[in-house]
Amino acid sequence: MSGQIAIVGAGPSGCYLAQALLKLAPDLKVDLIDALPVPFGLTRYGVAADHQGTKAVTRQFARTFERQGARFFGNVRVGRDLSLAQISSAYDATVLAAGLSSDRPLDIPGGDLPQVYGSARLTRALNEHPDAVTLPDLGAHPVILGNGNVAVDLLRILCKNPAEFDGSDLGPGPTAWLAANNIETITIVGRSPAAKAKFDPVMVRELRKLENIHVTMDEPESSSAPEEQKKLQALHDLNGHGTGSVRVNFRFGIQPLAVEGDSRVTGLRVAAVESEEIIGATSLITAIGFMSDGDLNRDTLITKAAPQQGGKLDERLYSAGWFRHGPRGTIPQSRADAQDTAALILSELTIDPARMGATIFAELPDCTDYLGWQQIDRVEQGQSLPGRCRQKITSTKKLINVAKQRGQNL
Amino acid sequence: MKVSVLYGTETGNAEMLADDIRSALCGKHDINCINLADLDPGALSSETFHVFVCSTYGDGELPASAKPFAEELARTGDGLSGIQFAVFGLGDAEYAETFTHGSLKLAELLKSCGATQVGERMTHDASGDCLPEDVAVPWISEILNQFPVHSKEM
Repeated sequence: MSGQIAIVGAGPSGCYLAQALLKLAPDLKVDLIDALPVPFGLTRYGVAADHQGTKAVTRQFARTFERQGARFFGNVRVGRDLSLAQISSAYDATVLAAGLSSDRPLDIPGGDLPQVYGSARLTRALNEHPDAVTLPDLGAHPVILGNGNVAVDLLRILCKNPAEFDGSDLGPGPTAWLAANNIETITIVGRSPAAKAKFDPVMVRELRKLENIHVTMDEPESSSAPEEQKKLQALHDLNGHGTGSVRVNFRFGIQPLAVEGDSRVTGLRVAAVESEEIIGATSLITAIGFMSDGDLNRDTLITKAAPQQGGKLDERLYSAGWFRHGPRGTIPQSRADAQDTAALILSELTIDPARMGATIFAELPDCTDYLGWQQIDRVEQGQSLPGRCRQKITSTKKLINVAKQRGQNL
Repeated sequence: MKVSVLYGTETGNAEMLADDIRSALCGKHDINCINLADLDPGALSSETFHVFVCSTYGDGELPASAKPFAEELARTGDGLSGIQFAVFGLGDAEYAETFTHGSLKLAELLKSCGATQVGERMTHDASGDCLPEDVAVPWISEILNQFPVHSKEM
């Protein structure tokens, strides 16, 4: 089957969808469009620098471009460079897989104080995303609010000593920032009891490798549910771990009431089981979920569409990944979804040869392609420092410049 | 010799490796690739040599596509005598405690049901520097060389 499909967002859900579509229909033209000049989205800028094994999934996505014939159009921001309507009219089907890149705000008094940092913002800065803010000063007593894998990721990275980043792609800026931190305690606070915490046990187990920490927590309750037992066992095994200088204190089942402080964060007021207390804090990192950055009108589109239709939003318009589901589910779950969505798209596809397809990108002077990404990839790997597998190019402008030298031996 | 590469995958990496093994050996062997999700243990044949390629997910668990197959094996508990297999495990040494446990559990299950493992279980570390196909292809070629030569049936 020929036909032209656009996927907005070249992160894991978009790439898995392209892979699934081209497996089912190798003659399709599948074009992945991304606001960044480089592909792979969350795999490159969200997955932690010290989780290279997780990032290895990009080898599959590379093949989707290199062998299955998917094409990449980078540095194309829908709503700035082209409208969604322009893309939709140029393709037989369009899929929105742009993810969710903004932090859900902390809706309690003081939640807008300057030392309250969202996990997406911090993660992007640690991963040297081109639009990232400067890494902030967390002070001696940061508090992490949230009990999912993102919270544990940040906890782990903040606690690692420099040698524990060997083999990662943590950049020189973030490396220096971590080394300069003078963290004495990190409190990680969750609303739910330990048994209902959202992190995967394996993420908790990983913390037992860290040399810099000593862990304290109230011994968690017990449970009869097998999944909960695994989580509680992992926490039990972690309790008391280590003799390092950073104290990591896990707190469960407490409700944040207010961020304390007039002009800067001094603590987090919480309701514990029987009383209120203030957990002293020099900064607060929120890992309480993500939301749309407002691009692509997600909320309107999602609200208008009936759910449970394989991600269909409208005629010839579909959604995938977090853009479709909201911020839950892992990378492999987006793979399973992609297979269903691909089948649905193909079953409904009506091909109109008059549609313009990728010619709509011809007028965009700074649009990057997959060859450009390969050039960036070579340069980044070639300039990696000792103990690192890659050194990212950190500015959009430089990424575009390197991409334009594609195919050249620099 | 008929060879079946049977893969258990969660993110697709094991599927990709199974496909690489098939591509590398298809000139020499009558070889196919099957997702364990689409295979019943009863369909394993003593006429075929089986290469299991299996990742590890979560806390040392089997990947999603291998789970129903493994559950069926555990339920029957035997019936695989005469079945020969080799096993290759994908994992991530960042999670040292459970590194490649998925493939380990699968191999133990197969053996407990009477199947015979040929060669050593080989593994690959996703956090390492080498590519899985560069480890797996020489390993399986070596194992298959132990068998009398059957040219590919024309």
